[in-house]
Amino acid sequence: MMKSNLNYIISLLGVLFLGMQFQSCKHKEGEYHSINDKIESESKNYHGTTLSSEAFLGDIKTVEVTEGAHSFLIPERKSHIKSYACTECHSKPLNQMQGADSEEYQKAHWDVKMIHARELTMNCITCHDGNNMNELKSLTGARIDFNKSYQLCSQCHSNQFQDWKGGAHGKRIGGWAPPRVSMTCVNCHNPHQPAIQPKWPARFNTQKVLERK
Amino acid sequence: MSDKKWFSLNIGKEHKASSKCGCGNASGSCNSHDSGGNAGIGEERVKDGFEQVFEVKMDRRSAFRKLTASLMIGAGAVSTSCSMVAGDEAKEKAQIDWEEQFKGNYKLMTDDEKKATVDRLVRSYQLRTGKNIKMSSKDAQEGVLFGYAFNISKCQGYMDCVTACVKENNQDRNSQMEYIRIHEMKDGKGLDFGEADDNYYHEVPAEGHFYLGTQCFHCDNPPCVDVCPVQATWREDDGLVVVDYDWCVGCRYCMAACPYDGRRFNWSTPEVPEEEINKNQHYLGNRLRKKGVMEKCTFCVQRSRSGQNPACVEACPTGARIFGNLLDPNSTIRWVLENKKVFRLKEDLGTEPKFWYFMD
Repeated sequence: MMKSNLNYIISLLGVLFLGMQFQSCKHKEGEYHSINDKIESESKNYHGTTLSSEAFLGDIKTVEVTEGAHSFLIPERKSHIKSYACTECHSKPLNQMQGADSEEYQKAHWDVKMIHARELTMNCITCHDGNNMNELKSLTGARIDFNKSYQLCSQCHSNQFQDWKGGAHGKRIGGWAPPRVSMTCVNCHNPHQPAIQPKWPARFNTQKVLERK
Repeated sequence: MSDKKWFSLNIGKEHKASSKCGCGNASGSCNSHDSGGNAGIGEERVKDGFEQVFEVKMDRRSAFRKLTASLMIGAGAVSTSCSMVAGDEAKEKAQIDWEEQFKGNYKLMTDDEKKATVDRLVRSYQLRTGKNIKMSSKDAQEGVLFGYAFNISKCQGYMDCVTACVKENNQDRNSQMEYIRIHEMKDGKGLDFGEADDNYYHEVPAEGHFYLGTQCFHCDNPPCVDVCPVQATWREDDGLVVVDYDWCVGCRYCMAACPYDGRRFNWSTPEVPEEEINKNQHYLGNRLRKKGVMEKCTFCVQRSRSGQNPACVEACPTGARIFGNLLDPNSTIRWVLENKKVFRLKEDLGTEPKFWYFMD
């Protein structure tokens, strides 16, 4: 008699426990255990939206970049360089102009001061091509277009390059909806002085100070 | 009109058949008022507006309160409608006030009713100030779930996001309300919010510190929504947790329930100088609030639902703020979630915030 009662109680508890297991981890509403499950399951049949961020881009010109699996747009650069093409002044290769007396030639680019890596590592011709000032050059001497100057930066800053390609580094322009337009390295960092200077915050909340007295 | 959700006065337009309907929409599209609709909300789907206000058991105190507020408007309406002196505009204003007082919960409105309340609010602003605003009632789009990522290595504490947010969302200038807080934290001390300073004023970034921003995290399992006694706050299909400022009773339960200090309360009538008002508004977003209601970050619903980035994302000069569609496998936010070491605040609570932090 005792034993059958005990058995009965145990089996009842077992059923209850099983029931709880199926119920407990579900939230009150919705059918997913976690947000990651929800994202994974609901994005399986993702077929885009009708939204576009094109209207919010303004009138910037862009060029397309394809790096690995990523393809997106970056602002075009060349039309913003004040006196492109550079060969309009740099008619001769750089080494022939350097040797000239300062009286004969006007001193150019006097305002450009390099604070980028150590002098041992970098100078002008690490990135600029002394024989073809219209283009940049890689460490191995390959040509790099001014519009794709990120190819230069990525030679050393490979981590930042990875993050930038994926979208974790570098500000996006316009909106979240496609097409993706991301700023390129030189839109924020001056390549000659890439460090960003400290500044004062945009605001200070005087009311908060009063409330917390 | 037996299926009408609330009682309407028709001041000075008794002869117009189309204005009989409570939605105030003269185009005759009101026949879509059906009181069926979504299950899950239950009883209240049927009882709405006027009925929800009056057909409930209440104690004397709250009954008096409700009656006083309604009587004021009623008396105003009656006095203007009977007055020979009051102009058409005054009558229209009284009509709008009446309709607004007895409109239903936004969550339960049909598209026509949403449009009608938005039209009334726009017209009311025009009548009061002579200026025009644009207000939208755009719904969540299918295939969109908004998410946010914040790079604590990149944030430099400039607070440009806070300034942009205040301007975009018409936040009260008097009490200096701010949805976003930027916490200045000491390196090597972990995330100690007690020790952090969220109101610094010195050159940034300060030596030996990092910066972490908080705002409403738009939890997928939001505790603030659970505690609201009047269902004035809810999670939309695109993940945004929103507030119906006209349904909120100002009990501040949600403020207490939020583990992230994401909600703000209007202790006084919010004031924004006319020339600084952002006139591109959304009913659930940055439209002008009143005294005694809750508000909070909506991921700039007036911007994000049209594909634009929220104001904070756009204002941040460092690119520390990343916003996008979690359901789009090719979005940048998805890349961040899948490739960076991300974490969220108080994950153990099970609130499932859709706001992730990461480092370079």
